[in-house]
This record gives sequence, C-alpha cells and structure tokens, in this order.
Amino acid sequence: MELPPILFENVTVKFEDRDVLKDVCLTLSEQRIGIIGANGAGKSTLSRLINGLVLPTHGTVHVGNLNTHKHAKQIRRDVGFVFQNPANQIIMPLVSEDIAFGLKNLQISKVERQTRVQETLAELNISHLSDRESHTLSGGEQQMVALASVLAMQPRTIVFDEPTTMLDLRNRLAFQEEVAKLAQRAIVVTHDLEILEDFDRVLVVTDGAIAFDGHPMEAIAHYRQWSHA
Amino acid sequence: MIASKNRSYLARIRPGWKFGALLVLSIGLYLINSWLILLSIIILSVVLLLTARVDFKQLRMPLLSLAMILSVVFILLGLQTDWTNAVVSVLRLLTMCLLAYSVSLTTSFDAMLELFQQVASPLRFIGANPAQIALGLSMTIRFIPELKKVYLEVREAQHARGLGNNPLAVSVPLVIRSLKIADETAEALDARGYDSASYQR
Repeated sequence: MELPPILFENVTVKFEDRDVLKDVCLTLSEQRIGIIGANGAGKSTLSRLINGLVLPTHGTVHVGNLNTHKHAKQIRRDVGFVFQNPANQIIMPLVSEDIAFGLKNLQISKVERQTRVQETLAELNISHLSDRESHTLSGGEQQMVALASVLAMQPRTIVFDEPTTMLDLRNRLAFQEEVAKLAQRAIVVTHDLEILEDFDRVLVVTDGAIAFDGHPMEAIAHYRQWSHA
Repeated sequence: MIASKNRSYLARIRPGWKFGALLVLSIGLYLINSWLILLSIIILSVVLLLTARVDFKQLRMPLLSLAMILSVVFILLGLQTDWTNAVVSVLRLLTMCLLAYSVSLTTSFDAMLELFQQVASPLRFIGANPAQIALGLSMTIRFIPELKKVYLEVREAQHARGLGNNPLAVSVPLVIRSLKIADETAEALDARGYDSASYQR
C-alpha cells in the first residue's frame, strides 16, 4: 500500500486568541506514528488537522497532493478517524448499519456495502456483533466497531485519538494487536506509552509545539523527563 | 423495536407492501364490530407472528406494557360504555399491535428508513431534505439509550453528593453532557464523510 506523505507547513491554530499550535512544520511518512504530550498540549488538534476536522489558522496541511482547506471531502475518504469515545462515534442503531454508514457516504452500491461490512467484521473477528444493537455493546466491542466502521472505508491512513483510554487491559491489548496488524498508516494520539514502543516515530507535543520528534524510546524518555520537571 | 436479522417469508416482502397492508388492515378493523370475527383475526395475527420467526425475547417487555395499557382501556371502556364494546375495542387494538410487531420485527431498520425517505420525498418541494430527516430519526433512536445511560450516571453522581432529588442538579449536567455528545457525534459525522446533499440510501 502506497502511503501519501502528510505535510504540515508553518501551521498555527488559534482558538479564541489562544495559540493551540504554533508554527508547526512536519512531514509524516512513516507507517506507525505516535503523538504524546500533556493534556491541553495540542495533540488532538494536531491529529484533527490531518483530515480537516480542524483547519489551520495560518499555514497549510497537505495529505499527498491534497490540501485540507480545499479538499477536506476527498481527504476524509483517505484518512479515517477513530475517536476517544466510540459510543459517540457509532451513529446507527445496529452494528452492521453503522459500518455501512460511511460506505453509503462514499456512494458505494448496496451489494458492495454488504460484502465490505461482512469482510471487515470477519477481519476483526467480530462477525458475531453484526446484528447487535449498538447501545448493547461493551466498551471494547464499541471500540472494535468504531475501528471496523473506519476500516470498511479502506482509508490509507487512520488517526486514533486516545483509543485505549476507556478500555480495560484485556480490551486494550486486543485493540493494540489489531492496530499492529493494520496495513494502513496509523497515527496514534495516546497517554498509553507502552503502545508506542514498536512504532517508527513518536512526536512529543508541549505547549502547542513539537518538543521532540524521533525514536519512540527516546521520545518517551524525553516526555517522562519533561513530566517530572 | 429494531429488527435483528430476520430471514422469514415476511422479511422477504418489500417494506412498502407490508406497511401499506398494515395501514389498510388497521383501517379495515374499524369496520368490523363482531368480537368473534375479531377474535379469529387475532388468532391469525398470532400465527403470523409465530411463523415470522421473530425474537420473542424482544417482544416480552412490549407485550407486558401493552397488556397493562389494554387492561386499563378495557376497564375504562367497560365502565363508560358496555362490556361488549370494551372487548371489541381491545381486540382491535391488540390485533393492530400484533400486526405492527410482525411488520416491524421483520423489516430491517435500514429498509424502514429507506421507505421513510421515499414517503417523505415530496417534502423536497418545501425545501426539506428527507435523507437528513431519516438520519435524524435513526440517530434519535440510536442515542435514546445513550442519553438514558448519561442520565443514570449523573443521577448516581448527584445522589453520591447528596443532591439526588434536586432536578436542577441533574438537568444541568445532563444538558451539558448531551451537548458534548452532540458535538462529538457531529465531528464523527464529518470524519466519516457525511454530506447531507449527496447522502442517498
């Protein structure tokens, strides 16, 4: 799978006169990228810039040749997003219908939708959840369904915003295993440092800037040191 | 009630036909005044429900609630009019509900929304978007249990703080959390490429 590079050029994001991100310049081309940092540091904003959920106040974000300002719709076809609270991400009352929802938005035929839904459920070993009502799912099951609903759209990049925060250890490990198997690029915002140990690159975000960018072990050490300071 | 996968003969009939038949039968029932004929139609409705291979676990609670409501209707009508009239009215209502269960439990939610969209399509002429209305409807059904969960959490938290019976203490956090859910869900809709203009079921 060819993964388009993600380019941040002098990106600043302001919310009500406050600089949430300041002049960020980055090129993301690795397959597994982690983003860590304190609460309110700007990690979630950084991740939301990637598929145009947040637009830069200054600067540009490109995914391949597409600009998030001009081509947000096309970019969202290629960049999936898994939110922290899967309960609010699941939109339809039945699991299979929720997974099909994104495919309908892509104008995919009914037959193709059904095939993709079943294939995706089988890929994540959750075929048994197909006919379940969404509100009856456990936290771990909801997170898997949220992942399935993104995977079914076959994006090349998936952004995860603190995906394991609401999961117990067993579900966290299961989720981590599924993420590790993905052929797609995974960009994971997390407080769960263990997840990142096998990653290719980790960014440490502090006060709206990239304080460290490099190997996971070095980034984690930097973040620990910063947290103790 | 949301239908889980049902593969009976009723599930294979087009939703438009099923809902149309339900409408015609419901009106037709009001033309029948013989309790004996109504009783035989009820037996047929039960047979229909049994042969439709519906999940009876899903029906337990609605049937219990229905029995309670019908008991009240029966007693009130019996006291105000006469007992034959009460029997006839209750049999009509019961038949309609059983037929409605047979239809709703053998029609997927998706198919119902598709039908709703077709029925509501004339609304386009007054500027309304049937796809948006259908999505709103499905999201309402989806989020009622979530909001109930939030309500219970808030009530529990306020009980723990000794504010259990204060409606303001429950309603304010409930509204704030509901708005947060709405915000996050809107963001999720965006992230999943929802475009109301082009959204077709």
